Amino acid sequence: MDVMGNIVYPIAGLLGLYGFVSLASLLWEGIDRKLVARMQRRVGPPLIQPFYDFLKLMSKETIVPNTANYMFRAAPVLALATAIALLAYTPMGFTPVLASKGDVIVFIYLLALISFFKIVGAISSGSPYAKIGAAREATIMVSREPAMMLAIFAIMWRLGKLGVDKPFSMGIFYQHNIWEIGTPMSFVGAIILLYVFCVWLASEIEVGFFNIPDAEEEIAEGLLVEYSGRYLALLKLTKALKAYIAASLVVAIFFPWGIAGYFGLTGLSADVVNLLFHTLKVFILLFVVGSVFRAVTGRLKITQAVDFLWRNVFLASLVGSLLLAMEVIM
Amino acid sequence: MTKVEYWVKIPFGPIHPGLEEPEKFILTLDGERIVDVDVKLGYNLRGIQWIALRRNYVQIMYLAERMCGICSFSHNHTYTRAVEEAAGIEVPERAEYIRVIVGELERIHSHLLNLGVLAHDIGYDTVLHLTWLAREKVMDTLEAVAGNRVNYSMVTIGGVRRDIDEKRRRIILDMIKYYKEVFPQIEDIFLHDPTIEARFRDTAIISKRVALEQGAVGPTGRGSGIRDDARWSERLGVYPDLGIKPVMPQDVTGERPRGDVFDRMAVRIGELWQSLELIEHALDQMPDGKIKTFPKDNVLVAKLRIMVDGEGIGRYEAPRGELIHYVRGKKGSDKPLRWKPREPTFPNLFAVAEGVKGDQVADFVVAVASIDPCLSCTDRVAVVEDGKKRILTEKDLLKASIKKTREINPEIKGDPTPVGFGCSR
Repeated sequence: MDVMGNIVYPIAGLLGLYGFVSLASLLWEGIDRKLVARMQRRVGPPLIQPFYDFLKLMSKETIVPNTANYMFRAAPVLALATAIALLAYTPMGFTPVLASKGDVIVFIYLLALISFFKIVGAISSGSPYAKIGAAREATIMVSREPAMMLAIFAIMWRLGKLGVDKPFSMGIFYQHNIWEIGTPMSFVGAIILLYVFCVWLASEIEVGFFNIPDAEEEIAEGLLVEYSGRYLALLKLTKALKAYIAASLVVAIFFPWGIAGYFGLTGLSADVVNLLFHTLKVFILLFVVGSVFRAVTGRLKITQAVDFLWRNVFLASLVGSLLLAMEVIM
Repeated sequence: MTKVEYWVKIPFGPIHPGLEEPEKFILTLDGERIVDVDVKLGYNLRGIQWIALRRNYVQIMYLAERMCGICSFSHNHTYTRAVEEAAGIEVPERAEYIRVIVGELERIHSHLLNLGVLAHDIGYDTVLHLTWLAREKVMDTLEAVAGNRVNYSMVTIGGVRRDIDEKRRRIILDMIKYYKEVFPQIEDIFLHDPTIEARFRDTAIISKRVALEQGAVGPTGRGSGIRDDARWSERLGVYPDLGIKPVMPQDVTGERPRGDVFDRMAVRIGELWQSLELIEHALDQMPDGKIKTFPKDNVLVAKLRIMVDGEGIGRYEAPRGELIHYVRGKKGSDKPLRWKPREPTFPNLFAVAEGVKGDQVADFVVAVASIDPCLSCTDRVAVVEDGKKRILTEKDLLKASIKKTREINPEIKGDPTPVGFGCSR
């Protein structure tokens, strides 16, 4: 058995990615806060404010409510662990570390698992606000995922028809991409699916319309209401990682091109350049879907958000997927 | 089969990010739906009335002003009117015009503040920063006119303290020009933005009947279709000369009032325009002359000792609604026997607690913000008897009221009927 190839390199790569993505995603939070502040004609905090926040929270006392059970403490750690595991399956400018058959499904489930751990931790705290927040998170989760799953499976299936050895793998995006299918109908379908994915991303990172489970003014940060100190720091880091990872998926599907080829780089240096370029693309996407969306909309009620996700986004996903799959079916 | 109800009670406050001041509401929830709201007042008691009874009439003006940071002019103005009525003091006409100008400036700043808070409560911080940026201009104007951004100390018994000269007049005209450019933007956002439409329409509907029952005043009452404005119905000061009339939601939205958050907001936007108009007219029509009856405060205190005999009531339309101050004094004393302000938030709070039933948790903050609550003005009474707080019935309150009346006015003889005069039930 190849110890180096199968164990050491993936672990080293994963740790490296974890370090890089943590820094990048926290930096993005700082940039985001600054940009939104400029849009609102404020000065805004310094760019590295999220790092200060993280360090401050890590050093503060952690208060655990006496109504809480052990899952309250386990949930932030498990959520962060899930996010780190997720990094191994996230396409970030190159084929993921643990790419294999069917890792798309693993990816989707792990992404849902982060929310799930957050819900479990919130319910375990025993606070009524956290329970309302958990109920909202669960409601919005079951409303946003079907549209995304339908779209991603349609894309995977359609790309698989183009002839790749491992369909339903994240590596597929670096061999074929959605714009390569080439018929006008699929082009329209891809545009519609881009809209679906943007809304999905916005609801995944909970900005603008979808800032419902954490609504600060309504239920006092909802899921996070009882968390403090280290656990809160871990949850904030998880949230930042999740934003990066979710955006990576959209970037991989719709904008998968790298630039290392133009410089004639190969091997590790190509991966690094691609990773940096990918990070830039993620930032641009998050700027459009996150910052701008956050600045120009307010929060909806949970019923209105569910309505929007099912009637509008799920329908769009259905139409887009059908358009994409049309010529193969006919 | 018995119906099982999964109701949850959650405390909303006393400290909550959606509330600007400490106050407790206990919500009974069925999932996200609000079944019942229990309002618990008394977290902000500062004993201002108690302090006031140990001070003379002029000192109380400063105290009244500090009851609230937003409507400080209104409290001072209303108290002053009550004392003027009790003492029979005529106010010079120029002073009345200056009172109108400062009062309307304060209304603009209060309404802009509330519009921002409403936007903030639905997570729409861009609009918050837009309105609060616009608010800076009127704050600066107030500073130029009165010397302070809050607690202006502009009104005194028998007139006003500072004149509006040519330089200040130009500053105010500048401000009017600025707002004529900015208000259309703000109006457009609040009346046509999809998020605001989605969140404010049909939220916390207070029907006209409920509003009348609970005695809702100000934009809350007008939003529900009650045509009332203390400046208009009382024919207060020089307001009739300026052509005041109540702003109704249909004047702004063009639809029948429904009594929801949107209508209350629309009334506020209409009043922004109205205030600008009133200030403009007042600056045009302002006559020359003196601005106060008594030039010196020590003279005023000495005169009031003789002049105040009996009771006086001041009514004024504060930005939140009708504000009433009651003052009762006795000849020979420079302290009032009784001073009682009634804050517009008090009836509005119960009206909105009635109106929010059946809505979602998410609506509650918006609903409370839509009446522009000023909770630190409202909290002035806590009943402590035998060392513990208890709930008083109608009969107890009546008994306490009779006791208090005897205390401040011993001439009243005889036994009042158990159902007091003016009680409907």
